[in-house]
Amino acid sequence: MGYELLVNQNPLRALNLGRTNRQLGLVMARAGLGKTALLVQIALDSILRGNRVIHVSIGESIEKTKVWYDDIIQCILHDYSVSRPHELIDMVARHRMIMTFKEDAFNRPRLEERLNDLILQDIFRPNCLVVDGFDFENADRETIEDMKEFVDSMGLQAWFSATSHRDDDRVSPTGVPFPCHEVDDLFDTVILLKPEKDATIQLDIIRNNGVETDSATGLKLDPSTMMVKAI
Amino acid sequence: MKRDLTKVRNIGISAHIDSGKTTLTERILYYTQRIHAIHEVRGKDGVGATMDSMELEKERGITIQSAATYCSWKDYHVNIIDTPGHVDFTVEVERALRVLDGAILILCSVGGVQSQSITVDRQMTRYNVPRIAFINKCDRTGANPYRVTEQLRDKLNLNAIMIQIPIGLESDMEGVVDLVSMQAIYFDGEQGDQIRYEEIPENLRDEAEERREELLDAVSMFSDELMEAMLEEQEIADEMVHEAIRRGTLSLELAPVMLGSAYKNKGVQPLLDAVKMYLPCPMDVENIALDLDNDEAEIKVSNDPEDPLVALAFKLEDGRYGQLTYIRTYQGIIRKGDTIINTRTGKKTKVGRLVRLHANEMEEIEEAGSGDIVALFGVDCASGDTFCAPALNWSMSTMHVPAPVISLAIRPVDNKAQTNMSKALNRFTKEDPTFKTFVDHETNETIISGMGELHLEVYIERMKREYSAEVEIGAPQVAYRETITSRADFNYTHKKQTGGSGQFGRVGGYMEPLEEGEYEFVDKIVGGVIPREYIPSCDKGFQASMQKGTLIGAPITGVQVVINDGSFHAVDSSDMAFQQAAKGAFKEGYAKANPVIMEPIMKVAVEGPSEFQGAVMGSLNQRRGMIIGTFEEGNYTVVEAEMPLSEMFGYSTTLRSLTQGKAEFTMEFATYKQVPKSVAEELMKKYQDEKNEG
Repeated sequence: MGYELLVNQNPLRALNLGRTNRQLGLVMARAGLGKTALLVQIALDSILRGNRVIHVSIGESIEKTKVWYDDIIQCILHDYSVSRPHELIDMVARHRMIMTFKEDAFNRPRLEERLNDLILQDIFRPNCLVVDGFDFENADRETIEDMKEFVDSMGLQAWFSATSHRDDDRVSPTGVPFPCHEVDDLFDTVILLKPEKDATIQLDIIRNNGVETDSATGLKLDPSTMMVKAI
Repeated sequence: MKRDLTKVRNIGISAHIDSGKTTLTERILYYTQRIHAIHEVRGKDGVGATMDSMELEKERGITIQSAATYCSWKDYHVNIIDTPGHVDFTVEVERALRVLDGAILILCSVGGVQSQSITVDRQMTRYNVPRIAFINKCDRTGANPYRVTEQLRDKLNLNAIMIQIPIGLESDMEGVVDLVSMQAIYFDGEQGDQIRYEEIPENLRDEAEERREELLDAVSMFSDELMEAMLEEQEIADEMVHEAIRRGTLSLELAPVMLGSAYKNKGVQPLLDAVKMYLPCPMDVENIALDLDNDEAEIKVSNDPEDPLVALAFKLEDGRYGQLTYIRTYQGIIRKGDTIINTRTGKKTKVGRLVRLHANEMEEIEEAGSGDIVALFGVDCASGDTFCAPALNWSMSTMHVPAPVISLAIRPVDNKAQTNMSKALNRFTKEDPTFKTFVDHETNETIISGMGELHLEVYIERMKREYSAEVEIGAPQVAYRETITSRADFNYTHKKQTGGSGQFGRVGGYMEPLEEGEYEFVDKIVGGVIPREYIPSCDKGFQASMQKGTLIGAPITGVQVVINDGSFHAVDSSDMAFQQAAKGAFKEGYAKANPVIMEPIMKVAVEGPSEFQGAVMGSLNQRRGMIIGTFEEGNYTVVEAEMPLSEMFGYSTTLRSLTQGKAEFTMEFATYKQVPKSVAEELMKKYQDEKNEG
C-alpha cells in the first residue's frame, strides 16, 4: 500500500486498532465534541491499513458524510507529506462506502440485507463498520446484543457513537454515562470525549480492547482541526 | 409611461422532470387571463401546453427550451421563464436563472426532493435566487407534503417553513389552510377559478394553530416588530407576517412552502399571491456588470430607467418569425429605433421590432423599461452577449459553461440536407454554448458534441423538424483525453537538407504534468540559443501536438512544457523549422512521460423503491462504477455513484427492465479520470486498427 508510515505515525495506534479482527468500539461524548471526527479518523486508519469500511450515517446526508472524510484527508495531507495525494484520495473513495439512513429506517435486518447484497454480488466486502448516530436512548440491551452478534457473525470490526447529555448523570460503575451505562460491558473499547479547560478535548479511554484502564491515555483532539494528537 | 418597478417580478419555475412545471405554468397563464383554455401537456385535444411551443416538446411531453412569457396578476407584472427539467439541459436552466430575480421550486408531493431538485437548487444558490417551494401533485396517491418539507430541510439545507397545510390529501384533497390569515381556501368551479374562503375545518384547527406557531417562531427573527408583538402577546396583523416572510425569503434564509395540485386546479392563485408578496422585484436584487474599459472592474447596475441601457441577451430562438433574441434589461430603457452596441463584438445595431412574448404569440411594444424581459427581432448576436447604450462598455458577468462530454458524427443524407444542416448547426451553437460542432479533417465528418445523449438527440430531431435536414448518425463517442503522469526530458533536432535552403532547429527542455489548466508554455531560454523570434514558433509547434495524442488520437490536456536549450543555424533556421522541431520534441517527451487516457466520469444518482437497491448496485458495479453511498428512507432509496460515461449508454433501458420501470436516474458531469489499464489497451488497439484500415 505504501501508507505504513502514515499508519505507524498515527496517534490512534494507542487504541490497539487492528490487533484483533473483532473489536467492538464505542465513542461517547456530548453533542458537538467530535464523535464523528474521531470515527472518521478510525475509519481512515482502517482504510490505510488496507481494509474496506462501511460508514453508516443515521440522519445525515451522503454529501455531509463525504465532506467529513474530505476535510480529515486534507488535514492528513497537510500534516504529513504524501507523494501522490490524488492516489490517496482515490484509494479512500474505493475502500469506503457510505450508507445513510433516515432515523427510523435503520435496523439490523435492513443492514444485514444491504451488506449481504454487497457481498454476494462481490461489490464491496467490508472489514470494518462505523455506525454514527445510532439511537442508544431508544435501544434496549437486547438490540445492542443483537447488533454485537451480527457484527461478530460478519467478522467485522465495528465502531458506534453515542451522545451523552449534560443533564442526565446516570453512570455505570466503570464511568460510562447514560445512555450506554447499562450496555457498556458489551463493548471491547470505550472512549469518552471530555472537554478540557484549555479548549482541547481529552480522549478518556475507559476500556482498551477489554482491559480497563485508568484513563490516562495521552491523546486529545485538536479543537481547530478535530485531529487526534498525542499530548 | 413610467412603470413602477416594485410591481415587476421576473420569476422562473424549475424543478425535477415530470413534477408538473409546465402544467403549473399553464394554470398561471389561465388564471392571469393570458390564455383562455387550458391544454394539458399530454392532453387529448392535441394542442399541447401553451408554453411547450416546440413540436418536439409537445410530442415528448417535456419542456426543452425555456420560453419566456409574461402575465399580470393583481396589477403586478410577472415575467415567467419556464425552464427545462432534464439534467442534459442544465445550461438552459442556468441561463434562465441568471436573468431571474426569484423562483418557484416545484416538488412532487410523492417523489419529494429528487436528485434533479438538488442540482437545480444548487444552481439557484449559486445565482442567489430567492425561492418559494410549491409542493405539487398533492392529489396523487402517496402524497406527503410534510415529508417533502422535511426533505427540503435535510437535503437542500433550506429553512423550509410551511405557510399552508392541506385540507385532505390524495383524492380527498379539497383545498389549503392559509396559516397567515388562518382561513381555509377552496377552489370551486370547473377550472378552480372561484376562490371560496371559509373557516378552518374543525378537525384541522389544532394542527393549524400548531403550525402557525412554528411559522411565527421561524419568521419572527426577520422582523423586530413581529417579535415584539409576539412577546407582548398583541394582535398580530397579517401584513406583519407577510413582511417578515418576505424579508426572510429575500435574504435567502427562509423558503416558504406552499402546496396544491396544479392539475386539479388547487393552490395556484395563492401561489401567485405569494410571488407578488414574497419574491423580489428587480430593485431588490443586486446585479453586477463588468466594465470592459476598466479592466473588468465590477460595477453594480442601477436598475434606474434614466441611466444608459444595459441588457443581457440570454436566449436566441429561430422561429417562424425569424430570429428572436430574448433580453433582460438591467438599467435604462430600450426603445424602438435606438442604437445599441453589442459589447462583445463592438457592433452597433439599431433596435427594430421590440416584442413581449407569450410562448408562441407576441405583442409589439414601443419600449421596455429596466428590469423587463422582452425580445428583439433580427439582431445578430450569441446567447450571453451584453447590449449597452453607446456610452457604456459593460458586460454582464460570464456564465458558467461546462465542457461537452459526448460527441457523435452526423452525415447529411443529400445535398439539400447538407445546406440545411449547416444552417441548423450555426443556429444551435449560437443558442446553446454547451453544444459544439466541428469537422474532423481526417474523416471529413461533421462532429457534434454536448452534455449527454438526450441533449444531442434533441438537436438531431430539431434539425429534422425545423430545418428538414435529415442526417445519419454515428455511434456516440465519449470525449476522451490524454495526459501525462510524469516529467520527461526532450532534446530534438530537426534537420533537413534537400537542395536549396535547408531546415534546422534544435529544441531541448522538459514537460511535466500540470495540476490545473490545459497547457502552459514556459520559456527559459538564455543566451539566445534559440532566437527570440522563434520562441512563438516552438509554442505553436507544441500546441499543435496537443491537438492529437499518440495513444488514441484524443486531445492532450494538463501539460506544462519548459524549453531551456536549443540551437539554430543562421541560414537554415526558420519559423517552420522550429515548429517542426517542437513537434518532434513533444513526441519524444510525450512517449517518455507515461501518457495515460482520461475519460469523463459522471455523477449518477439512481432513485427508486428499496427492494431494488441490490439490483441497482449490481448494475452500477458491472459498469465499472464506484458507489459512493446510499440513502434510505422508508421504502425509498437513492444510490449515488461515479460512473464512466462510456458505460452509461443504454443504461436507462437496463434500469427500466431491472426495476419494472420504478426507478429513475440522473447524471451530470463530475470529472475526468484515468481509464483502467485493460480498457486503455482496448481503446488503443481500436485506434491502431482504425488507423491501419484508414
